[in-house]
Amino acid sequence: MNVNYFLNVLIPMLKGGIITLTVFTATIGLSIPLGFVVTLMVMGKVKPLKAVAEFYIYVLRGTPLLLQLMFVYYGLPILPVIGQYFVFDRLTAACIAFVLNYAAYFAEIFRGGLLSIDKGQYEATKVLGLNRFQTMIKVVIPQMIRVSLPSVSNETITLVKDTALITVIGVTEILHYAKTAVNRDANNFAFLVAAMLYLLINFVLTVVFKKLEKSYDF
Amino acid sequence: MTPMIKVNNLHKKFGDVEVLKGIDFEVNKGDVIAVIGSSGSGKSTLLRCLIDLETADVGDIVIEGQYLMKNGTYGAPAEVRKIIGKMGMVFQHFNLFPHLNVRDNLELAPKMVKKSKKMQLLKRVEEQLKEVGLADKIDCMPSTLSGGEKQRVAIARALMMDPDILLFDEPTSALDPELTGEVLNVIQKLANNKMTMMVVTHEMAFARKVANKVLFMSDGVILEEGLPEKIFENPQNNRTKEFLCNYMQD
Ligand SMILES: Nc1ncnc2c1ncn2[C@@H]1O[C@H](COP(=O)(O)OP(=O)(O)OP(=O)(O)O)[C@@H](O)[C@H]1O
Ligand SMILES: [Mg+2]
Repeated sequence: MNVNYFLNVLIPMLKGGIITLTVFTATIGLSIPLGFVVTLMVMGKVKPLKAVAEFYIYVLRGTPLLLQLMFVYYGLPILPVIGQYFVFDRLTAACIAFVLNYAAYFAEIFRGGLLSIDKGQYEATKVLGLNRFQTMIKVVIPQMIRVSLPSVSNETITLVKDTALITVIGVTEILHYAKTAVNRDANNFAFLVAAMLYLLINFVLTVVFKKLEKSYDF
Repeated sequence: MTPMIKVNNLHKKFGDVEVLKGIDFEVNKGDVIAVIGSSGSGKSTLLRCLIDLETADVGDIVIEGQYLMKNGTYGAPAEVRKIIGKMGMVFQHFNLFPHLNVRDNLELAPKMVKKSKKMQLLKRVEEQLKEVGLADKIDCMPSTLSGGEKQRVAIARALMMDPDILLFDEPTSALDPELTGEVLNVIQKLANNKMTMMVVTHEMAFARKVANKVLFMSDGVILEEGLPEKIFENPQNNRTKEFLCNYMQD
């Protein structure tokens, strides 16, 4: 095993790493806010919204992510009439499927966080004159974040690994390049390199979440 | 002079169970009203109805001449918010904001609701903490405070909004016995400064010393009311006698 072969395998895989990180970043950045909106719908008093949000969570958590991924890329475009409006390139399709799927999980995590907040907190803000928006921003969300952080951290690490699924719709992420190299050279080394890359990403995430949890430890 | 609080024929049900069954009383400026009575008699529910934490069903609640509820109906939300803004409340379990330090606990509401200026606010926070004897705790997180300190911070936090009336629901019931004194002293001090207060309490000695009027509640009604001397030394109603007897034995 020489350095040249290592670089030969690694460099294309880094390109894949950028794709992986793109999907990861888009998913985290969009599914967290979307998940929070879904939580508010579930916890809110508007019955139809609540029903829609509960159905959404049920379907997205109850079916395989792989199926959702394939449905967004292959399935949506062949829907009658409206299909033509849902033709996405591979990467976009991957991001859409992941955002929708992870939002459902984050919604459930945030719901747990909200449920853990003592009702005395709401009573205190009410008698102090804070309105609902102020209560949400200044009192509820910070406490929800603290409770949710360990689960969010867990989910985030799962997400890094799940990104490998998008190779099945032909997105050229880390695993795609690993597979190509292994097939080409009949050598497992590329799988090892891929594993190291996933571990490296998750190492960074673990450190970041440790720090975050510390700053939310009150 | 218009009373600070006037309540007529107040009724409140939880489901099918009527918890308040026709309550009438008045609170005047500077009054310190002690509300006593056995567990489940409706003391907390009464207090919570006054500040709109519970929605009553029947009757009138008038705060400083303005109807919070008239004949069982409430005004518009903005109106309700304005009226309950005249009151502050201190809870049995403090309900401090655990993610904010003492200073931010005190500053949050004035900043958000009154849009107070930062510099003035800090001065006010320092004064208010001095009042309750906690000037040195300004940067502490609530989790590092004792129960008595937490409750004194909660009182300071309520006072930051300059309420005309303060409601206390068993402010010392969650405290170790040796910590009740420091909280009761703060309430005593407020009474000396003529703060109008209603205090639900099981501290009979305190009620007797600080209150100028005692309400004895039993099973959803005010069974007996009057000067502390009268209630504690010469109760008229048998149930009052029984209740006080049980308390004096503890
Ligand atoms: N949210 C609620 N839902 C249903 N019933 C309630 C609710 N809050 C209070 N109750 C009932 O109303 C009655 C009066 O309760 P309340 O808390 O006002 O009594 P209390 O006099 O404050 O008692 P304690 O001394 O134990 O605090 C009790 O029977 C209680 O079970
Ligand atoms: Mg009570």
